[in-house]
Amino acid sequence: MSVYITSTGHHLPGEPVDNARIEEVLGRVHGRPSRLKRRILQSNGIQTRHYAIDAEHRTTVSNGEMAALAGRDCLDQGYLPDARLDMLSVATSQGDLVLPGFGSMVQAELGLPSLELHTSHGICSSSMMALKAAWTAIRAGEHGNALVVASELASRLFKASRFEAAGATPDFNAEFLRWMLSDGAGALLLEDRPRGLSFRIDWIRGVSHADAFPVCMSVGRPNGQGRHPSWQDYPTYAEAEADGALLIRQDVRLLDHLVKLGVDGLLRLIDEGRVKVDEVDHLLCHYSSHHFRGQIYDMLTQAGAAIPEEKWYTNLYTRGNTGCASLFIMLDEFRRTRELAEGETLLCFVPESGRFNNVYMHLTLVREATS
Amino acid sequence: MSDKVTTSEGQACLQGLMRVWFDFERQLSRVPILQRLERDRFTDEDYRRLLCHLRQQVIEGARWITRGASSFERDFADVRSMVIEHAREEHRDYEMLEADYVAAGGERQTIVHAERNAGSEALHAFMMHRASQPNPVDLIGAMWIIEGLGHKMADDWARRIDAALGGDGGATRFMRYHGANDDAHLDKLYAMLDRVCRGEAERRAILRTARVVARLYALQLEEIDHEPT
Repeated sequence: MSVYITSTGHHLPGEPVDNARIEEVLGRVHGRPSRLKRRILQSNGIQTRHYAIDAEHRTTVSNGEMAALAGRDCLDQGYLPDARLDMLSVATSQGDLVLPGFGSMVQAELGLPSLELHTSHGICSSSMMALKAAWTAIRAGEHGNALVVASELASRLFKASRFEAAGATPDFNAEFLRWMLSDGAGALLLEDRPRGLSFRIDWIRGVSHADAFPVCMSVGRPNGQGRHPSWQDYPTYAEAEADGALLIRQDVRLLDHLVKLGVDGLLRLIDEGRVKVDEVDHLLCHYSSHHFRGQIYDMLTQAGAAIPEEKWYTNLYTRGNTGCASLFIMLDEFRRTRELAEGETLLCFVPESGRFNNVYMHLTLVREATS
Repeated sequence: MSDKVTTSEGQACLQGLMRVWFDFERQLSRVPILQRLERDRFTDEDYRRLLCHLRQQVIEGARWITRGASSFERDFADVRSMVIEHAREEHRDYEMLEADYVAAGGERQTIVHAERNAGSEALHAFMMHRASQPNPVDLIGAMWIIEGLGHKMADDWARRIDAALGGDGGATRFMRYHGANDDAHLDKLYAMLDRVCRGEAERRAILRTARVVARLYALQLEEIDHEPT
């Protein structure tokens, strides 16, 4: 049975924030401007992004609300009434609450009655895992449709007050993502039949390498040799925060692996015959930074498997890096702004640096048969 | 970069070699002594043991390269020349490695008399066997792994080892030297790939040898923690 993406939606909170205004929103740590900001922004190439917090650090829209707004945007463009939705599959790296699962909150926010629920936990690739869960459920004949939503509210991690609570000036690994990640949500509607011009999901394939590499991106883990391995091991949450265990960190030394593993996965798919490089019309790759785009391209070129640059599509530079929501937001804008034709193919790729999980997806544009 | 390998067979082989390499890197990530290096738990003792065991491959390497050179028949005279040149450049590298061992606080007699571990034995035996076959084009697969490792040693290991041991680079000359030179060696490998990989049979042989060498090399490094000191 084939499964189709018949509608897409997104929500990006507030007005776009340009590079000059980021620090106004996130705040200056100990009142001092960041020394790293310019360097990191130059490298990642992002010009504008959105935040769900204001300059007073009030949350303007919760993660659950953002997810619901994206879901509603997607449903509003589709043909399916809420009551006929069979499944809701949701992803985020951090819900508004630690428990219950984020999916429960999003279902309630959307007011969707009695459906099957799935919550996917992780970082960038969690959306693709949520998508795969929905895709396989439909393929197995369990359901006829599913709404998949991915949402991120990363900015709450980046408030100046959080860094100040952790003591001294943040180290590079703790500050790195402050200038990379922002907020937003994306949604896809999956059905077992096409509607108009739809994306048929040909396959989704994930490859995780957690066994071979250390943690690269984390929240909840103290820097270096902290007193406790996890934020939950501290006697009080206050002590965990003071120890910097609640900052989001990226071990930038390990990022080279991300590019290599991403290319490795693609070569694997070429070898399996799933990807034929010459037949890919569009590449939607969630690279978190312009810096990585060049590295991926060079390595693929070296392998003789390059997809020409004019086939690469991204909205990273104007919508920001919204973690697991990025690919959905990208696909939504791609669908809305491009003249697309039946038979065109898309290769989607989401590399995750958390502990190195890469997910690939192949789509073909299919037109609903008219009787 | 793609102009380094131009034939479709060469490119297919290169894609396969890259995959073998990436897998090899993952194997290395699971090797205990390299995990200690990765996790800032690396000691002087670890470094001396690493050099002691690496020496076995380095000193035997020149033998299999020259043996391989002599196995190329007249139609491969150009390849033979390249291999001889390569052997000439590297056949005394082990002296630099020994000097590093001494600089790291080891006794020269210890490293000179050290025995091959189980992984080194297997790697050496396999390489000599392959190098003794007529026209052993698959050796390029072995060189891909070993030259690639040289590059990794310099870029990654030497920096981490110096950081871990508080060294100034005086005891990591062998690794840094390889990093500086192995790029040029890799360029020659690309050219040779076009030359020797002309069909599926060659490609399969090259990839198989690369896989076996990668596995045995990793075994050689795993054995560092299994061997009695």
